[in-house]
Amino acid sequence: MGMTTKRTIGKIVYHVLVCGLGLVMIYPLVWMIMSSFKPTQTIFTTANQLIPSQFVLENYANGWKGFAKISFGVFFKNSLFISIIATIGTLISSALVAFGFSRCKFFGKRILFVAMLLSMMLPAQVLMIPQYLWYQKLGWVGSYKPLIIPYFFAIQGFFVYQITNFIDGIPRELDEAAKIDGCSYYSIFFRIILPLTTPALITSTIFSFMWRWDDFLSALLYINESAKYPVSLALKLFCDPGSSSDYGAMFAMATISILPAVIMFICLQKYLVEGISTSGLKG
Amino acid sequence: MKKKIALVMACAMTVASLAGCGGGSGSTSTTAAAGGETTAAAAGGETTAAAEAPAGGGEANLVMYWWGNQVRNERTQAALDKYCELNPGVSIDGQFAEWNDYWNKLATMAAGQAIPDVLQMDYMYVDQYAKSNLLVDLKPYIDNGTLDVSEISENTIASGTVDGGVYAIAAGINAPALLYNKTLLDENGITVKDNMTMDEFFALCKEVFEKTGVKTDIAYGIANSWSEYYMRSFDIVPFGDKKMNGDETSWTPFFEMYTKGLEEGWLLPPDVFAEITVGSVEQTPMVYNSTPATQSWCEFYNSNQLAAMQNAAPEGMEIGITTWPAPDPKKSAYLKSSQFFSVGVHTKNEEEAVKVLDFMINSSDANNILLGERGVPAPADIAAEVAPQLSEIDQKVTAFINDVVTPNCSPINPPQPDGASEVYDLLNRTVEKVCYGQLDAATAAAEFFTEANKIMSSK
Amino acid sequence: MKGKKNLTFRQFMCKESTAGVVFCAPFIIGFLMFMIVPMGISFYYSFCDYNILTPAVFSGAKNYIKMFTDDEVFWQTIGVTFYFAFVSVPLRLIFALIVAMILLKTTKATGFYRAAYYLPSIIGGSVAVAVLWKRMWATDGVINTLLSAIGIETSFAWLGNTNTAIWVLIVLAVWQFGSSMLIFLSALKQIPVSLYEAATVDGANKWHQFWRVTLPLLTPNIFFNLVMQMINGFLAFTQCFIITQGKPLNSTLFYTVYMYQQSFEFYNTGYGAALAWIMLVIIGLITLLLFATKKFWVYEGGF
Repeated sequence: MGMTTKRTIGKIVYHVLVCGLGLVMIYPLVWMIMSSFKPTQTIFTTANQLIPSQFVLENYANGWKGFAKISFGVFFKNSLFISIIATIGTLISSALVAFGFSRCKFFGKRILFVAMLLSMMLPAQVLMIPQYLWYQKLGWVGSYKPLIIPYFFAIQGFFVYQITNFIDGIPRELDEAAKIDGCSYYSIFFRIILPLTTPALITSTIFSFMWRWDDFLSALLYINESAKYPVSLALKLFCDPGSSSDYGAMFAMATISILPAVIMFICLQKYLVEGISTSGLKG
Repeated sequence: MKKKIALVMACAMTVASLAGCGGGSGSTSTTAAAGGETTAAAAGGETTAAAEAPAGGGEANLVMYWWGNQVRNERTQAALDKYCELNPGVSIDGQFAEWNDYWNKLATMAAGQAIPDVLQMDYMYVDQYAKSNLLVDLKPYIDNGTLDVSEISENTIASGTVDGGVYAIAAGINAPALLYNKTLLDENGITVKDNMTMDEFFALCKEVFEKTGVKTDIAYGIANSWSEYYMRSFDIVPFGDKKMNGDETSWTPFFEMYTKGLEEGWLLPPDVFAEITVGSVEQTPMVYNSTPATQSWCEFYNSNQLAAMQNAAPEGMEIGITTWPAPDPKKSAYLKSSQFFSVGVHTKNEEEAVKVLDFMINSSDANNILLGERGVPAPADIAAEVAPQLSEIDQKVTAFINDVVTPNCSPINPPQPDGASEVYDLLNRTVEKVCYGQLDAATAAAEFFTEANKIMSSK
Repeated sequence: MKGKKNLTFRQFMCKESTAGVVFCAPFIIGFLMFMIVPMGISFYYSFCDYNILTPAVFSGAKNYIKMFTDDEVFWQTIGVTFYFAFVSVPLRLIFALIVAMILLKTTKATGFYRAAYYLPSIIGGSVAVAVLWKRMWATDGVINTLLSAIGIETSFAWLGNTNTAIWVLIVLAVWQFGSSMLIFLSALKQIPVSLYEAATVDGANKWHQFWRVTLPLLTPNIFFNLVMQMINGFLAFTQCFIITQGKPLNSTLFYTVYMYQQSFEFYNTGYGAALAWIMLVIIGLITLLLFATKKFWVYEGGF
């Protein structure tokens, strides 16, 4: 009796605490969603009040209308295309490279690793113009190529390093056993390591998708036609500091634009922690 | 080892060739997107038989690039579509971005020698772009009649003139305007007159503060045009050739304005501005804040922003419009272009691009769609034609420009040279220091002048 | 390679060194194709007078000399950036680890909780966050209202004060701890249950388990997060760019934002490139330092 009461109280305290902090976490999001239902002129004048006194849907209609006859749906389609393909590329290439870094010894590995780290240390803004010139030389400007193809070559060191780190945590005894069974490095990767890497691949999927979705800098530089813009770039078009900005429409579209990432997160998060814990890895 | 060296060499050579010629002539201009080309080709194919179209320009794929909001994007694209309808065989791809993004992308395109055919320009950048040979000199086209400027005033043409060449045509006329909370002043029986002197303005600020507690924002953080406007009263054009005009004491009165306001208590303290996005109409202290201590009764903006400001104002606040104050209002006042249209130098079809520009500026067809969204149209006949279709607020703005500013102004300063944006940043930071009490006016003036001179001389 | 040992192609491909190169090939190609040239160009620009609009002109080490001898703002931004990185990164990691520990336990609601705690990272640097964050810390904002509610009556201008404005950005950075949290979460589940079981048999309570089992086994991930977040911390851009723009009195001006201003607002693009390369050296040194300490505290043994 005493024990169960104690446990129940503990549970209640846990949920109250986690919920309370959770509210702080999502307050800005709730604010944005609520704002998207306010008449657009009143968003700033009523910024301190959360619940709209007048509940309108016109921001969604205005926002979805898009720009110059290009509906926001088009921007969503573009973003989904870019983000999904680039994420697939990132996952495949990063996992391969990570295995190489983690499990193989070869000449030049250290240099490669250093190169990978260094490539993360230059601010993105400084590479804008050089990269533009280079992609222009390749004839890629004006297409999605600069937004997609590089990701098939593991250019984001973050993911390579993250997955490398994860593979490092997988006991080597597993590989050794497989090697004795006559497995090559390639089959060790595909049959043994890759399945065990699921949690890292899930986190990478979440990050990569989200980062590609939010990336507007390369879209700005390399995409010319307005009908090819992704959401990240289109969202900024609601604001014009020199004249009127439609914050209502922007918040409405921003609210919709986080949905893919949120849905994806909710679907994937359970795999994130299921992973290998139950698969009998006892060291 | 040899391989490695060879690799390094190869890389270095690529780098050198890319950096050296900045894209060069060999680079493929990819601005005309593939999609646009095919549709244009199809359209061209259909219409070659009936090619006796009014313009007779033949086939062309053009790109026009601008910044703006939803309304502008919509209307500009509609006007471009109209042009394509009237000129079969021509297709124009309208591309747009947000202000900051626009300039980043345009600069990047300039580095890659791929400036769009027709583009929107700003007073702040026109000098740099023209001097870097990125814009087409429109003078020959004016002379041969392709571009009609007969209805545009000399002053307006002059504002887009750099070193004798015309590089930009005003897309709309604009004037500096003090936008104020008319409701508040009316309620307290305070009147505002046009063409105020500084002393009258100070007295007004003091009166408003004493009666209502509401303070004043003197272009805090956005003192760029304001400083220029102010200095015109002293016959000083801030930027000379690789130097600042005037001397170490010229700017003292300018900074004294702020110290005076702080002493007398009517100037908004600087920490108020840390809580807003300076320069955004919706977040100006006049309409955004709700307590007298954080509110301003006026804002230093431009006439074409009246509608936006009124839109952003809380219910029941009417926004009034008058001229900026100045030590000598007549010397300071000017008309300016809200923004320009230019033709990019990398265009493959210069003639057609100029025609598009002429269409946007001079045709009733275009302007009945655009409806003065960029400011009062520059040609007098078009302005008159569009005027009755404007909203009540825009009519008020037109009246303000025609009746208040025009009879009482002088030509605008030449466009600002390279280095100006850095100097303005310095100016705004110096004002910030003065407002935080770190500098007195005389020291601020001297420091600002010396630093600014250094910036200009390094260009 | 064929002659000496007469390896068949298959044997050659299966050699450890060959396999390593094959696996790393995407990165090698990607780096050579997409990174090295742009990096090289920007390095060249850092030795040039370059304003984007006209071709770059070589000017020797001028930019670097100016930076160290004649640029007050440079030193200011270095100070701000170090402060921001060294305060926000540890706070963020500690916070991420605590929350990851809390959310590890699977109850019916955890999926929802995890999403809630990850959300701030999803909405990231959007305009909505920029507007709201300033609103919250305003003199009449939520923070001061809350303070009043617990008895501290104040109308303190958090953003207007040179000492506190940076903290508004630090809190924002800490609030967006989601990505580190996810990495910790997936790593926590990688720790074999058997180790906990063994510890329980030895009589260790939860607290001891954390210090003796969880934390040591987590060190590789802590190290990874530390390196990544340090790099991110030094390259932080958005927080400053959308919220303070360096105000007041440059007390929140991040290095990268200053670099951006020089490059794209003042068109001193050569100088901007030089700033970027100095940042690379700084981050490189700090990363090197972190790697040098690795052997003292990071558990490398596997499980």
